[in-house]
Amino acid sequence: MFCSGCRCRAALWGCDVEALTSLAYGFSVAATPFNLMLALVGAALGTAIGALPGIGPINAIVLLLPFCFSLNLPPESALIMLAGLYYGSGYGGRISSILLNIPGDPGLAMTTIDGYPLAQQGRGAAALAISGIGSFIGGTLTVVLLTFLAVPLARLAVSFGPSEYVALMVMSFALLSTMGGGRMAKTWAAIAVGLLLAMVGIDGGSGVERFTFGSLELLGGIDFTTLTIGLFAVSEILVVVEGLRTGKVAEFSGGERLRTPEVIRCLPAMLRSTGIGFFAGILPGTGAAVASALAYTAEKRISDRGTFGKGDMRGLAAPETADNAAQTASMVPMLALGIPGSGTTAVLLGALLLYSITPGPLLFTQRPEIAWGLIASMYIGNVMLLVLNLPLVGLFARLLLVPYWILFPAILALSYAGVYAATNSAFELVLTTIIGVIAYGMRKLEVPLIPLLIAFVLERLLEDNLRRALSLSDGSPVILFTSPFAIVFWLLAALVVLLPLIAPRFRARVRDLSEGEES
Amino acid sequence: MAANATYDRALGLIFLVLGIGAMWHAQSLQVAFAADPIGPKPFPTIVGGVLALAGAALLIRPERMAWHPGSWSKVAAVAVASIVYPEVLIPIGFVPATSLLCLVLARALGGGWVQSIIASAITAAAIFALIDVLLGLPLPRGPLGV
Repeated sequence: MFCSGCRCRAALWGCDVEALTSLAYGFSVAATPFNLMLALVGAALGTAIGALPGIGPINAIVLLLPFCFSLNLPPESALIMLAGLYYGSGYGGRISSILLNIPGDPGLAMTTIDGYPLAQQGRGAAALAISGIGSFIGGTLTVVLLTFLAVPLARLAVSFGPSEYVALMVMSFALLSTMGGGRMAKTWAAIAVGLLLAMVGIDGGSGVERFTFGSLELLGGIDFTTLTIGLFAVSEILVVVEGLRTGKVAEFSGGERLRTPEVIRCLPAMLRSTGIGFFAGILPGTGAAVASALAYTAEKRISDRGTFGKGDMRGLAAPETADNAAQTASMVPMLALGIPGSGTTAVLLGALLLYSITPGPLLFTQRPEIAWGLIASMYIGNVMLLVLNLPLVGLFARLLLVPYWILFPAILALSYAGVYAATNSAFELVLTTIIGVIAYGMRKLEVPLIPLLIAFVLERLLEDNLRRALSLSDGSPVILFTSPFAIVFWLLAALVVLLPLIAPRFRARVRDLSEGEES
Repeated sequence: MAANATYDRALGLIFLVLGIGAMWHAQSLQVAFAADPIGPKPFPTIVGGVLALAGAALLIRPERMAWHPGSWSKVAAVAVASIVYPEVLIPIGFVPATSLLCLVLARALGGGWVQSIIASAITAAAIFALIDVLLGLPLPRGPLGV
């Protein structure tokens, strides 16, 4: 572990003690009755929404973000609830993957491979239990790593100037374009569209109107809730209306329960997958989809005796564990650098920006109640979810039996009510629909939406840093390439973009791995 | 439907036009005063350039992709209902407007007429009760007061 300022062992040990005291402080924030209740509400609602067919973590958060904001919750409480929703929906998402064969999220695509056969063999309850345990182990071990890694990383990032930040963000985009799945040109186009959408409105530096086309309503820019509800909720509903997605709910009650030897047999797979998930998760652009695919492939290579794909517990435990580990690990760059690596962390970051809180390395020192409260709430949330999920999973699974014509109108109505509550404007509702229809078209044309969202959230930070760097040098772009860190980031960015062009086989493999990345 | 490259070409063309449009718009910005020597122009110019390049790449090297057509008419019906919804929301109030929107969506998802009407009215009323009454976030109340 690298720790700036203290390189000897004793000092390094000192850092760890510091992490523990900070964590204790975090628990004092997260464990107030009010915040505990919000975490529980978030986790339960997240599981319920995540369990709905085709609805993934990002939809769950997006749907409830406007309410958190309009209710004027303190930022740490809002974030604790949203984070509860985030991992709750991860737990819930496996229900529709296993019982219905419909993954709500690209990260869950691998879960269906062994999960659905298990459900068809009448072991749906056992499959849900093992994936719950896997999710718990992956999530919890990763929070422990996060506790000790976030601050050293943030300390390192404090020394970053504007040019390092510009290079770091360009590198994130480059990673997103190669590792995120989808065609590189389409990902870059999505990033550019996201950046342009964020520029709409009055430019802070000069007071000039950009891309408003004379519209008064657009002067303040595109509202974050409007964008996210349009991109994810409305477009999702249009995809459902199109009616190409059908499935039959497998039986989940009865059947042989999960036995202890089965859990023990899965443990090595879970530990390996936690490692894979963690490393995939902290890189920007890779995230849960790549993590679960890598973990499944690795586990298949290690332990397959012809049983994988036909309902092997380990084939289910591996991607589930990696998925949750990556979800949690993607909080590391979000908290320590202020740069989100996944769509969901981009929404959390956007939520912080709504509160006028600039995330980044200084968050740990300036707003410790937010940073450490959130980290502590992840420990609590994981335990809550395991306790909530093992006995109540049948109840959540029953949601799959609710007919679409009741479920989706309610989601659409809730989406519009949310946008209205957050903005008090009918114009924003029109904009939401327009964005939703365009996003639906983009999904049909395989243009990824997550890079668009990440770019939208990062625009301000990127442009501000670019302009700050260039004004330091009086307009000479050379300043962007002078510091050692910046050079490393630029080189990595160039490597990541050029490697697939030079070696098409590498590109093909990455695309196979992240198959299904779309929402 | 067979895979074909037209979709990628059309998409590439749209991105190319949008990218050039963004660059052109950036050049037209009149800066009276800027806090920094760089101003608001270069960034949209660069980003517009990236978009145009990505569009050109798609146009030159399109990939064949299959378009899976679903129920177009249903998608269109829901999209139109969603566009109309904000226009009627304030005049007639949240509950009536939302009931109508939900009705269109419920019918598009295969609910029967009677089922859909009942479910839509209950959904709209329940969400109003939850958001407006319980959470205290005001939603538009039309002539009926809901």
